[in-house]
Amino acid sequence: MSSKTVESRSWFEQLLQHEAPVTNEPAVVDEERLAARAAVQELPLPGRRQELWRYSSVSEIFEQSFEPATEDLDVELMAESGDWLLPDTQAYRLLFVNGRFAPALSNVQELPEGVRLGSLRTALHADAQSLAIWFGQAAKHDTHIFTALNTALMHDGLFIHLAAETKLDRPIEVMHLNLAPEKPLLIQPRNLVVLERGAQAELTERYRSSGDSHYFHNGVSEIVLEEGAELEHYRLQMESNKAYHLHQGFLAQGANSRYRNTTLALGGKWSRYDLQVRFKAEGADCETNGLYLVGEHQLTDQHLDVLHDTPHNSGRHNYKGIAYSSGKAVFDGRILVAKDAQKTDAHLSNKNLLLSRRAEVDTKPQLEIYADDVQCSHGTTVGQLDPQQRFYLQSRGLDADTARKMLCIGFASEVLESIKREAIRDYTLSRMQGALDNVIEKLNEQ
Amino acid sequence: MLSIKNLTASVDDKPILNGLDLEVKPGEVHAIMGPNGSGKSTLAHILSGREGYEVTGGEVKYDGEDLLELPIEERAHKGVFLAMQYPVELPGVNNMNFLREALNAKRRAGGEDDMDAVTFMKLIREKAKLVQMDEKFLKRSVNVGFSGGEKKRNEILQMAILEPRLAILDETDSGLDIDALRIVSEGVNALRSADRAIILVTHYQRLLDYIEPDHVHVLAKGRIVRSGDKSLARELEERGYGWLEEDAA
Repeated sequence: MSSKTVESRSWFEQLLQHEAPVTNEPAVVDEERLAARAAVQELPLPGRRQELWRYSSVSEIFEQSFEPATEDLDVELMAESGDWLLPDTQAYRLLFVNGRFAPALSNVQELPEGVRLGSLRTALHADAQSLAIWFGQAAKHDTHIFTALNTALMHDGLFIHLAAETKLDRPIEVMHLNLAPEKPLLIQPRNLVVLERGAQAELTERYRSSGDSHYFHNGVSEIVLEEGAELEHYRLQMESNKAYHLHQGFLAQGANSRYRNTTLALGGKWSRYDLQVRFKAEGADCETNGLYLVGEHQLTDQHLDVLHDTPHNSGRHNYKGIAYSSGKAVFDGRILVAKDAQKTDAHLSNKNLLLSRRAEVDTKPQLEIYADDVQCSHGTTVGQLDPQQRFYLQSRGLDADTARKMLCIGFASEVLESIKREAIRDYTLSRMQGALDNVIEKLNEQ
Repeated sequence: MLSIKNLTASVDDKPILNGLDLEVKPGEVHAIMGPNGSGKSTLAHILSGREGYEVTGGEVKYDGEDLLELPIEERAHKGVFLAMQYPVELPGVNNMNFLREALNAKRRAGGEDDMDAVTFMKLIREKAKLVQMDEKFLKRSVNVGFSGGEKKRNEILQMAILEPRLAILDETDSGLDIDALRIVSEGVNALRSADRAIILVTHYQRLLDYIEPDHVHVLAKGRIVRSGDKSLARELEERGYGWLEEDAA
């Protein structure tokens, strides 16, 4: 065992020592935690020799020490600063600060029957036994060390539960705000979203931070869609230039369920989103769209792992990325179609735009097919802005910067247009345009 | 308005233009004809500022100003417009937004405010009618999935909106069927005016049946070897370019 491995193991062990004394935890939670603690000490450590971590180095994270976020912050105070307000006033709003529910700034009153929205911690304390059939099921603590770490120290997170046939007519908007203005923090939201049979909802999650907050976000989301349930899910991540953001999503889809997702990664020092999709029965459909923008001293990583082991399920996965300056982007998408998964319809695409010579993209779309009656495709491209297109725009009077920006937005538009709700689409587009203004400025400095 | 004197230019060290002279006054329509490889498109590209051409001698004055010194977008702001032979596709760039940005860029350069949305919509509807373009093309990505004729009509639509002072149409007739040719030509004719000059670069006389030129020039081996009125075009139709190329040699 090399000294480096020992160091990273002790990085985990140090964090485990921080655990705040918790009393009256429901037995279900207690058991999960204990098992997860043990797993943290045994599971393989992430390192570049593992395929899963080959292109996104975690050593930078292990070189820093983080303390688990424990205090409830004065959220009233920061309500006045920053643009954490959500774009749609019609929505049910939830604010989480450092992974903890902030009810004072949330709006979850007048919920229809069959709907529970709020803190996972509160929900577990109220009714751990009935949640046990979902909690910790999609996200097994014994597979990934970071999932185990999240479980071992879990405190709170988003909880959504829709009873069978409940259709929410208002969207849910969740702001996950991370604040670490003083010492580097470990922030670990633990989210659970359950839509029972035939339930429908739309969920927007934003991950933001203030100023140059310095932290390691190690989040876990479990999303369970039972038979015929439908979830429209937007995930927008835009954090400080000192933010390390790892989030693992675990999606379990029941028969004829439908999941549509658009994920945007627009900022942070190091950000990685892993999504694991599992089909539990036939007839389900999963669509994911992703867009990432990465620049100077930044890394962004999208991992997608889709397992078709039951027949008649479909998936479309379309990811696009723009890298500039010394930015590094990683895409790793795997679709595995098992022997019995006949009539699978699965498509995976990843396209990248490199705006500078120093920028880097590592892309690895994989399709493993063991069934013989399927429709599958995958493809990847890495390219640059086309000088002919730039000339065309300039010859119509647009300056070089506007032309470049317009072409980048054009490149991204396919993903932006997958956002169906206009308020979110406009918000995202304006963020993207703002980010691109910075990009062009950086490019011109070089 | 446009004065080209003894222009020489090359591509990859290969001379393409060999001392070209041309004078264009406001209100005039000039046709530049010539066989393939005579330098017609090179001239159009140099005037619009496309990269890849090295001007090795001579001068191009536009309203007394050295045109070749101007950045591409400033030429557009000052009223130079090139309708391209092969209009580029811009996936994801909405045609309407593109037109609005282009128009406003020109307005801003001229010290005007952006055009308000209502006025712009009115303008674009009116101009789309001129080239008989269905409004659905305005909502699509620029030129993506457009047929050859639709792309050319989109070029003329841009021209109608930007109202250039000097419009250069590079092989606008190529790849057009007779109906599309008529629509495009009507669009161009509607834009003829006393203060606007048009240069038609074309291989065939066919376009000139629809857009009647004031002057016809024959380009061969990078020089204008013959100039005349529209009857010259007819002569070319009958006799081909061979007899003039011999003159140029």
